[in-house]
Amino acid sequence: MTSLQNKVTELFENGTINLLIGFKEAIHKLPVPCFIDNVSQVEQLIFTPSCKGNLSVYLLKTEVKQAKKVGILANVATLRAIVQLVSENQLGDIEKTVITLDAKGELVVFATMDELEAYVQANFPDLSEEDKKLLDQLNAMSRTERWQYWTEQFTACVKCYACRAVCPMCYCSSCTVEGNQPQWIKVSSETTGNLEWHTMRAMHLGGRCINCGECGRICPVGIPVHMLTVKMNQDIEAEFGAKTGFSVKNGYALNSFKPGDKEQFIK
Amino acid sequence: MNIYNIKSSQLAEFFEQLIKSGKIVIAPVLKKSGKVFFEAVHSYDQVSTDYIQTGFSAKSVVFPKVEELFSFKKDDEGIEITNNLHTIPETVVWGLRPCDASAFNYLTEFFLKENPDTYFAVRKEKTTLIAISCAKADDACFCTSVELNPGSTSGSDMLLTTMGESVYVEVITEKGKAAVETAASLFTPGEEKSKEEFLAKVTSVFSMDEVKERIKTAYDSAEWKHASMGCFGCGACAFACPTCTCFDIQDEGTQDSGKRLRCWDACGFGLFTKHTSGHNPRTNQTERRRQRLMHKFKYSVENLGIVSCVGCGRCIRNCPAHLNIFENILSVTK
Amino acid sequence: MSEQFEPKIVAFVCNWCTYAGADLAGTSRTKYATNVSIIRFPCTGRIDFMLLMKAFENGADGIIVSGCHPNDCHYTSGNFHARRRWIVFRSLLDFMGFDTDRITFSWVSAAEGTKWAGLVNEVTEKIREKGPFTEFKKLDYSILEKIENDVVTE
Repeated sequence: MTSLQNKVTELFENGTINLLIGFKEAIHKLPVPCFIDNVSQVEQLIFTPSCKGNLSVYLLKTEVKQAKKVGILANVATLRAIVQLVSENQLGDIEKTVITLDAKGELVVFATMDELEAYVQANFPDLSEEDKKLLDQLNAMSRTERWQYWTEQFTACVKCYACRAVCPMCYCSSCTVEGNQPQWIKVSSETTGNLEWHTMRAMHLGGRCINCGECGRICPVGIPVHMLTVKMNQDIEAEFGAKTGFSVKNGYALNSFKPGDKEQFIK
Repeated sequence: MNIYNIKSSQLAEFFEQLIKSGKIVIAPVLKKSGKVFFEAVHSYDQVSTDYIQTGFSAKSVVFPKVEELFSFKKDDEGIEITNNLHTIPETVVWGLRPCDASAFNYLTEFFLKENPDTYFAVRKEKTTLIAISCAKADDACFCTSVELNPGSTSGSDMLLTTMGESVYVEVITEKGKAAVETAASLFTPGEEKSKEEFLAKVTSVFSMDEVKERIKTAYDSAEWKHASMGCFGCGACAFACPTCTCFDIQDEGTQDSGKRLRCWDACGFGLFTKHTSGHNPRTNQTERRRQRLMHKFKYSVENLGIVSCVGCGRCIRNCPAHLNIFENILSVTK
Repeated sequence: MSEQFEPKIVAFVCNWCTYAGADLAGTSRTKYATNVSIIRFPCTGRIDFMLLMKAFENGADGIIVSGCHPNDCHYTSGNFHARRRWIVFRSLLDFMGFDTDRITFSWVSAAEGTKWAGLVNEVTEKIREKGPFTEFKKLDYSILEKIENDVVTE
């Protein structure tokens, strides 16, 4: 058994956790989420730098919350998500044990939220090279080229809502998409409606998205959805100094303001 | 069934003839994202040939993601209601896998058996399916477990199997024959032979008979909760699946004009079964995922006599959590 | 005689400042472009960004969003929230390639009837020059049109 598996066994045996959300190796040699509620299942657990998924989304799930004492394997993006979720008061109903892998590959089990927050601040993730490249490409395009790019992407969108499902920040029990009085977002998938859906989702994530990139990674039709919020958050950080997932005392950029906020476009 | 041969190097010409014959040709195209999707093409060089499976199935040809059932317009003279069934073009789907072609059998049973669906009927009538057998497979493929195989002709009008320099052509229906006739000079009659050595080897993961039997008592299995923990409740698996047929009817428009649309829906969505009263018979993801798997392997057998899963593996590949349908079926039928 | 293109402009305005300002323009008998349809809100803070998108979807060629000057909001801080929202929304729209020139944001107070009239005239002319918002309107094409017009997606 690896040191991770031993650690997790220990946590089960001393009653610290009832459920562990981690990774296992599946077909295609891919690390995928796995849920362990018994020491007999511990041996499938893995945790390597290739475990890129953001498991924090499961902390909002009813079946997980029912377990009350939950352990979770968290890469840096996930840690950042946890900080943001705590700042939004979404994790108060479970006792969480968060485990990460530091840069040297050593296991770290956080004793307190303060410790977790300090770790995130010290290891604050930057954009991946791939994302930086795509962002540069998009910024270099002319307005009409960007319009062509995004409308093509949105035409391919099938409204499966996988982007929303996988996002830890999309936890509204009653999503704006589901209302029909008024109906903001059409059910049918067509370019205008899809554009509206993605705009709306991006705006609802402005100042909240922690740039894990999961939405773009898992989109079944390959739309780099995460680019919208990556750009938005860059702008929000530049304009208002707010960094998402940085501190549990974070405010929310879009429900606060400074009288000194500046812009050039209001006549 | 008629057998023909065509030179591999002349496939492109055959393809071009299909386009010249005036039909819309839908084929697998490699997108910027690296995934392959079915799209209408103008020429053979747009067609991708090096992939194991497309992202989504070809069901959108007969069951589009959005179908306009009818539209209406109101003016001083009254209300005019129109539909565009007459505009549906002759279509050829090129490059289906045998699993996808077989899925069309299920779709046909579903849409035409009890209450024949005109929209499906018209589209299916105008569609020719040219399948290509699989030389490669991956770990998500499990067609052999659901009584299919990488060289099955079930559901297709024509099946192509590359055998080195030449392509073995099995013409199964009149539509397949008509396709041959668009480029008759390229085809030479051939003799039946085994495709075995040119097909991918797909290991069986379960016995269909055993599963069909055991699933009858699987409803209350405690394993469902574990099998569904990773499910987020999105529609990726249902939309990618060649046999998922659930839809939603939506009306869009104003008092003066509008249309009624049929759109893809998914049983994984939380609201799928919500009643107007507010009651929802499936309140959690465990119940919803159980419904999906039971439908594939039990309910569709009871309703239409066919297992609706064709083992294409798209649900696994598209799932954000990579949930595995055959692993789950095995664990709940243990 | 060719018909001049008459743009459809929708204005989202706050009740206490801009709406009153527009009213003043009216009572002062100021002549200005008639292309604008005014929608009255209690405050700019109430203006949901989705409403702007819906206006374009339903045929608007241009939009004006206007409210009280900073520090003059009838509800103290509504316009501050609105300003933040617009900064973020405008940057998102621009990133998506949306023509943000078609949306004009302004502060117009209850005393600025002339400013309102001038603003409407300016925006109307700007949009008239730009032409109808076909870029947005022609987004939804059927697969047949796609093939006929050689719209190839990469």
